[in-house]
Amino acid sequence: MKRLVDWVHARTGYRDAARVMLDEPLPPGTGWFFTLGSVLLGLLSIQLLTGAFLTLYYAATPDHAYDSVRFINGLGAGRLVRGLHHYGASFIIVALAAHMLRVIAFGSYKPPREVTWLSGLALFALILGFSLTGYLLPWDQRAYWATVVTINVSKLTPVAGEIVAGVLRGGSTIGALTLTRWYSAHVIFLPVAVVLLIAAHVFLMRRQGISGPVRPRSGSPTPFFPSQAARDVTMVLLVTILLAAFAWRGAPPLEGPADPTDATYVPRPEWYFLGLFQLLKYFPGKWEVIGAMVVPGVVAGFLALLPWIDRGPERDPRKRRLVVGAVTISGAAVIGLTALGWRDRPASSASSDGWSLREIGGRAFAQKLNCGRCHSETGLADPLEGAPSTRGPEWIAGHLADPEMIAPGMREPTAVVHEREAAAVVAYVRRASREAYPGYPPLVEASATVFARYCIGCHKIEGDGGKDGPDLTHEGTKHDAATLRRWIVDPELVDPDAEMPSFGDRLTDAQLDAISTYLASRK
Amino acid sequence: MSHTTETSSLGGRRRTLILFVNATVALIGGGLSVLLGAFAFGPKARAAEGRWIRAGTTSDLKPDEPVARILAVSRVDGWYRERARETVFLVWDGDRTIRALSATCTHLGCQVRWEAKDKKFRCPCHGGVYGADGAVLEGPPPRPLATIEARIDPADTSVLVRL
Repeated sequence: MKRLVDWVHARTGYRDAARVMLDEPLPPGTGWFFTLGSVLLGLLSIQLLTGAFLTLYYAATPDHAYDSVRFINGLGAGRLVRGLHHYGASFIIVALAAHMLRVIAFGSYKPPREVTWLSGLALFALILGFSLTGYLLPWDQRAYWATVVTINVSKLTPVAGEIVAGVLRGGSTIGALTLTRWYSAHVIFLPVAVVLLIAAHVFLMRRQGISGPVRPRSGSPTPFFPSQAARDVTMVLLVTILLAAFAWRGAPPLEGPADPTDATYVPRPEWYFLGLFQLLKYFPGKWEVIGAMVVPGVVAGFLALLPWIDRGPERDPRKRRLVVGAVTISGAAVIGLTALGWRDRPASSASSDGWSLREIGGRAFAQKLNCGRCHSETGLADPLEGAPSTRGPEWIAGHLADPEMIAPGMREPTAVVHEREAAAVVAYVRRASREAYPGYPPLVEASATVFARYCIGCHKIEGDGGKDGPDLTHEGTKHDAATLRRWIVDPELVDPDAEMPSFGDRLTDAQLDAISTYLASRK
Repeated sequence: MSHTTETSSLGGRRRTLILFVNATVALIGGGLSVLLGAFAFGPKARAAEGRWIRAGTTSDLKPDEPVARILAVSRVDGWYRERARETVFLVWDGDRTIRALSATCTHLGCQVRWEAKDKKFRCPCHGGVYGADGAVLEGPPPRPLATIEARIDPADTSVLVRL
């Protein structure tokens, strides 16, 4: 073994390289504060590795991205690998902020380290680019809508807003071209740029040496290895354990598949963008550009110019009140805005709610349309319930209108499906792919088919439906079943000014009984 | 080198630190390697859960005469769901028993054909010949044609095969 190692060294001189790496002389008093760079390097390495491995299964197309991420979540080690990558991104933001604050507090950007500082800021920007592009890749609701907001914010760029948004979007809408473009950025362009910049950053750090404690101490420099290396790996180990605990505790969130037609979804940014989004709320209308571009631009400009604003050789933070004060106030503002954004963040759309009438009605329509002929345990296609489907609403609607489109020659064409019934079936299929049908009383099922076919165009129940007529969510508090039935049969008989058309000749007696009893029961 | 002038207790501390650094790096690196290795080799082909598929009724079949049926099977390949077509020969005894044979030659995977005139399956690739029951009669195939679970639904005489 020793001979082999000697042989390798004789040909490569690797021991000299290792010595150059490890015997970096550090000023006396270099301590725990100087471990944050290594923590970042460790976290970035974990991102690079887990990210590279995630590409084994990920598919960057709107049709398959979500399925492939869900597949990764289902793999034994997949949950953990994706968890490390997902939570690792947040850890990097925290470590980055800590590293930057340490550099500011210690005045480490002062001559001759101005360029090291600037390269660090560029790394910061690239890492925010990673966060932004990576967020889209799972192609779930969160991903899609956060990206809609991001691209709309980019339109506020002065002069070139539309051009910037067009470059980010790729195509005319957020879709396949956006996804492949952000994927390329996330796995090729940004990693290459980050690795090169880290090399430059570390090279500059080595060339200028570590800045060390704010008051130089007496004594001779000590080599990096092993004392400081031990501090570094201790911190890396602690952070890695914490990260592993996060990844272990739960798979990263994966909401429903991206649905561009879903008007009820409320986008929420990742926590480290909450402050920025909160800021936007204070600059409404034409002033929005101030929150979106001017304030962040001023902060970035201030940071970039810091070595020239904070001149003079003094590095002790207690004697640099102006800079330390400005940074403290900005930091407090960021934390305050993030906290406000956290408090104001919209509640997540509760998916554990009961099924909507549209979904319940859709189930009955699907039975009426005989979908089960193919979609059954013994059929050509997967059953509608219990099998995960990630088809988008347009796909399902298209399939309903023309099943041959999907399965040529496999089924006789169906009768024309009414537009509202089709919408209800789409809603049902998407719901059923997420959770089993909980079962509802026959009265609810019967009235759901009436409501989802006839009423929903004008009336809302629990937030779903049209706006032309009154909300029927609590109709039972206003009228009894008999009145409602008379009204539905012929509204003008009850109120000559009624605008609602009569349904007496369109609904059967059973349907009229069901819907009026049901509405009267809604208190 | 300066280390040689250190006292023996400092040398011991140095050795401990080196051990600690190396052990920690090995721990993190090893942990990640195991995890990522499991991730890369991980996707066990889940035992394809066969599903009973309708393949016509006995009225479409002739007793003891293999009839080819092309069936659409939905297959899950990782995250990708596809509808594959598979040829199956149904052999009905004219009564309550049905056998289904895979059309895939056991030699190198070509699709065999039923030759009605000499009542044999022939593989077009390397001359494999099977009898109507799937047994090898001639040529290189190492095994008889694979049998696929099949049954007749007594209710409506439809044929179900498990794919």
